[in-house]
Amino acid sequence: MFEYSSLLTFIALTAILAYSFYAVLIAGQLSLAQVGLASLAAFTSSLVVPNEPLFGFIPPLMVGVVFGMAVGAIAAFVLGLPVMRLRGVFLAIATLAFGEMVRIFLINQSWTNGAQGLSFPKLVGIETAWIALALVAFWFWRLSGSRMGRAFAAIREDELAATTMGINVPRYRMASFVIAGAVAGLYGVLFAHFTRFADPNQFSFEAAVDGLVTAVVGGTTFFVGPLLGSVFLSALPELQRTLGIDAGWIRPAISGLLLLIVILFLPGGLAGLIPRRRSSTRLVSDPAALPQLEPLPARGTEVMALRALGKSYGGVRAVHDVDLTLATGEILGLIGPNGAGKTTLVNMVTGVTVPTGGSGTVLGIELAAKTRAHQLARAGIARTFQQIKLFNRLSALDNVLVGGYRISRNTMLRRLVFLPSARRFEREAAAVASAQLIRVGLGDKATTAAGDLSYGDQRRLEIARALASHPTLLVLDEPAAGMNHVEAERLSELIRSLAADGVAVLIIEHNVRMMLALCDRITVLNFGEVIAAGTPDEVARDPRVLEAYLGAEGDAAATAAAEELAEVAAEAVKGHDGDAAGTEGAR
Amino acid sequence: MQLFLDGIFLGSIYALFAIGFTLVFGILDRLNLAHAAVFSTGALVGIEVVTRWGVSIWLAIPIVFALGALLGVLIERIAFRPLAGRHDAHFAGLISSIALGAVILSVLQALYGADTRRFPAEAFPSTRLEFLGATFSLLQLMILVISVTLMVVLTWVVAKSKLGRGMRTIAENPHAAAVLGLNVGRISSTTFAISSALGAVAGVLFTLNVNAANLGIGHAVELKALAVIVLGGLGSLPGALVGGLILGLAEVYAVNTVGSSWRDMVAFGLLFLVLVIRPQGIFGGRKVREV
Amino acid sequence: MSARHLTAVAGGSLLLLALAACSPTPSGDTEAGGLVGAGTGADCVIEAEIPIAAAFSLTGGAAQYGSSQKNALEMAVDDLNEVGGVTYALTVEDDATDPQQAIQVFDGFISDGASIIVGPTLSNTAKQTDPVAQEAGVPVLGVSNTAAGITEIGDYIFRDSLTEDAVIPQTVAAAVEKYGLEKVVVMYSNDDAFTESGYQAFAAALEEEGVEVIETLTFSKTDTDFRALLDKAKQSSPDALVVSALVEAAVPLVTQAREIGIDAPIIGGNGFNSPALIEGAGEAAEGVIVGAAWNSASDNEQNVAFIEAYTERFDGAPDQFAAQAYAGMQIIDEAVRANCSGEREDIKAGLGEITDLPTVLGDVTINENRDAEHEALVQVVEDGKFALLD
Repeated sequence: MFEYSSLLTFIALTAILAYSFYAVLIAGQLSLAQVGLASLAAFTSSLVVPNEPLFGFIPPLMVGVVFGMAVGAIAAFVLGLPVMRLRGVFLAIATLAFGEMVRIFLINQSWTNGAQGLSFPKLVGIETAWIALALVAFWFWRLSGSRMGRAFAAIREDELAATTMGINVPRYRMASFVIAGAVAGLYGVLFAHFTRFADPNQFSFEAAVDGLVTAVVGGTTFFVGPLLGSVFLSALPELQRTLGIDAGWIRPAISGLLLLIVILFLPGGLAGLIPRRRSSTRLVSDPAALPQLEPLPARGTEVMALRALGKSYGGVRAVHDVDLTLATGEILGLIGPNGAGKTTLVNMVTGVTVPTGGSGTVLGIELAAKTRAHQLARAGIARTFQQIKLFNRLSALDNVLVGGYRISRNTMLRRLVFLPSARRFEREAAAVASAQLIRVGLGDKATTAAGDLSYGDQRRLEIARALASHPTLLVLDEPAAGMNHVEAERLSELIRSLAADGVAVLIIEHNVRMMLALCDRITVLNFGEVIAAGTPDEVARDPRVLEAYLGAEGDAAATAAAEELAEVAAEAVKGHDGDAAGTEGAR
Repeated sequence: MQLFLDGIFLGSIYALFAIGFTLVFGILDRLNLAHAAVFSTGALVGIEVVTRWGVSIWLAIPIVFALGALLGVLIERIAFRPLAGRHDAHFAGLISSIALGAVILSVLQALYGADTRRFPAEAFPSTRLEFLGATFSLLQLMILVISVTLMVVLTWVVAKSKLGRGMRTIAENPHAAAVLGLNVGRISSTTFAISSALGAVAGVLFTLNVNAANLGIGHAVELKALAVIVLGGLGSLPGALVGGLILGLAEVYAVNTVGSSWRDMVAFGLLFLVLVIRPQGIFGGRKVREV
Repeated sequence: MSARHLTAVAGGSLLLLALAACSPTPSGDTEAGGLVGAGTGADCVIEAEIPIAAAFSLTGGAAQYGSSQKNALEMAVDDLNEVGGVTYALTVEDDATDPQQAIQVFDGFISDGASIIVGPTLSNTAKQTDPVAQEAGVPVLGVSNTAAGITEIGDYIFRDSLTEDAVIPQTVAAAVEKYGLEKVVVMYSNDDAFTESGYQAFAAALEEEGVEVIETLTFSKTDTDFRALLDKAKQSSPDALVVSALVEAAVPLVTQAREIGIDAPIIGGNGFNSPALIEGAGEAAEGVIVGAAWNSASDNEQNVAFIEAYTERFDGAPDQFAAQAYAGMQIIDEAVRANCSGEREDIKAGLGEITDLPTVLGDVTINENRDAEHEALVQVVEDGKFALLD
């Protein structure tokens, strides 16, 4: 018992509460239910904590902690079922409402003694609090470099992209909720058994806001953030007292100003001040580290079959009656003017959009209302996006590591006990990711944040991320946009080599010349329907294709495509006229 | 009938707070949690002006309005503008506005102390009116009329005026707005100024109505106002009014059916249900966007 | 490392340094005999200053009570220091209406060698801070804690604030007698420890008197618009409204009750005993019956002087919180002088022996449960003043 022992204990306890907010914030969610969950755990624990060690050897506090964490986790799960589909402010307000409902419920119960509160035995001291904090911090430290941690980060950065990497977003969001609930329960039980007393009003909206402030001020991108936030905010009043600042209005004014300064000038929170490497993972360029990957299906295996597939929005038919097949080793091009429905079609194939008509099977999975993008990704489909969807705040290598989600293993539990296999698995995943990054020529930018890369590099990074999942079917949506002629040619080379390895490639691209040279078959869409299909030669000579492009007035890309198409067609005709040498050497 | 009117009048108070709150959210997509502090400021400064300077309430309201507008500009400049363009602007804005709100409240405590204060009894005529057997005060009626008028006027401003067009453009796409040559900074400031001016005046009316004001009154209403703007649809001005009235009625009827202990349970339960069933709220046409 | 990092690291180190530098070595005040003087009672002379520490809510939700407590305590210390012989050094700290802060403040007081701790403002805070002092063997005098179970925390915990149980039964009895009450509506804020225990006392007293409770209505301590509740109360046309609320709620509640036309008497507890009720509710406060631990209208000489001095010094009339804080210091002074010692153990012993000490609250005795006993009274608001109900 010394002067600062309570302060130090509160620092630990407040940090644990902040970790509970951190657990959802790292997955991009904002929950204000945490103190409500804590209070539920604290009050219910009073019903089960025994006076004597259980069975003679389990300490009463241990019973309370286990029970409280279970209550927190279960309550978070039950709360999560209805609110999980909400995002952002809506999730925050729904959880806030839940927290208030818990408070009102507890106030109106006789076993909690209502507003007069409940006494608890003092079972927690400074050591217990710091041991608990150390365990919680340890968990989040080990989480941050694991596959699970990367999945949370990916969801925070871009949910849609994460789901197309094979990450089951709803399940992970729920997992973060449940983890946060367990930590909140831990906090509640420890808090009540340290202060010896709790009344439901202590777990109010204000307390929830305080917890959130602590987590955000500390920073949510590094696991020590909550602790730093707690040290800062808990020590402030004590510091002001010891400095002899007059008790009264001046103190909250100073605290408010300091908080304002931190939040305005330290974007990453206090944790942003700690110098560290951008990425926890380093490039592994040693080919020996590469794991043995499962072989792709034999060449010519059908991986996609669409029958009369269609999608309508309201009465507008974005895509209709599309029949399409694709086999491994094949490169299928999809062209057509803007708004022809190419991206909608690709979205249906990758499970991002649910079809409204026809049927389709991709990698053995039926495209139905229940089909989720992450299931298709698990089955071996990988894609890039027309509008780049990278995890902007993650390093290039981390982006590709998330891409490798499908073929890597969850290492969280192994990491907790430092099993050597955890290191090995992490190294293998890093090796796969590194190889793809080097393959697209970004090896030297592995630690750069994706958002800081140039446009062309971002396109390449997206491709590397898609390749990292070792896909059977690769879907590329305008991969060459923004690339110059040389870069586009290099990309074509890459795609050909993938096809040669047995990957099935579905590609949308406006660069008609590139498509005609690259694809085995091309399908042309206009106004949502297939207007032509066949080999590049056949398509190039089909007058309906040229018409479609010319018909799309005011579309610069279409006009350019039409010009290219006309040129290529003319060349092809010339070639057929006998001057066979011209085709290849024209440019 | 009395119950119904009680609910309507209670709701119009919530709406008064919520209209300014939701204006900022609808246009700038930011929750300004310093709004509660502005509300308290309006109330306490209004009392000071009336009691100390002996100014009539009718002159005090414009003074408070102007002060609120000034505070709004300050809040925008200090707590929100420096965050523009930051990826975490949402969280950061919540917290910077909480921090600034705390500073404002402590300055108020320095100026006026922590005691509960009130307007002199004669500041506002305490006329009673009767309607279909139910009674209410002139002030209550006035608050309802002001809420409805504000809603209509603001909706018109946002929909039709030049300022409103600017606001809507910013709401849709701040980058595009800047490219189009709109002065995004000035429009944001104006929005905050209007919102805070209304918040401050709401504080005065609220205090007149309940005969009590202290530092915490803003926070007491804030939570309910959050519920109101979600019920009505985040960012929707008619939604704020209707949401306020619904909450007021729900609370009053809850008192008379399930009992007053569970009144707030009904309010928050309703909020929770609305979010789960129809997150965009009653009037929210907007897509539920990600934060 | 960028300049910004450097600044921040430097700032952080400064913060730590400041904490370390200011952390005092365990104070020497508690050395044996340092605070023991010669003589007894009025003749007692103690060389050293006796450190008195107080934790009140000066900011946050309960700030308005804390500030009048602080004022009164400072005034009491000044008055007592003028008497001579014994000097007190008062430290008042802010718990920000946050139990977590209060515990840390108590920790600081204990290690700084405070002889006795006054406070904290709220009962629920006291339930968390007082065990800390009890363990450290530092006496605590609560001057506003009215909830049950405070002094049960331990033998170092005393209070001079009457519990609701000591005030309310007599208030109810007096009101029943005066108005012949048969059926009443009870209203209280159920999310506050003080008002809820007040409610329990009311409920018990009403049952005792055989008064029927037609309806019990609850509200939140932050509520200010009570019209819906009052309309409901009005429907059952009670003989009286019985209200357990803090004064912030009391004023709007009373005003609104009169506004919607409830003319029945309104009966309140300790929370109503504040000049703010009369000042705030004005005409509407007329006829409100208030059970109280402090009689502001008492012609007790000490009390008159106290009100006069307080009003002059702080530009406003004192409330019951102020009176109880002032009396608290009077009680401490008596306990110190009894053994002529400012040592913790001696003060503790002295407090246990307080009998019929004249204070601004009247003659105070500390009973064997370490609770104060003194006359409680029933007041009624008449002509803008509190008057004894008779």
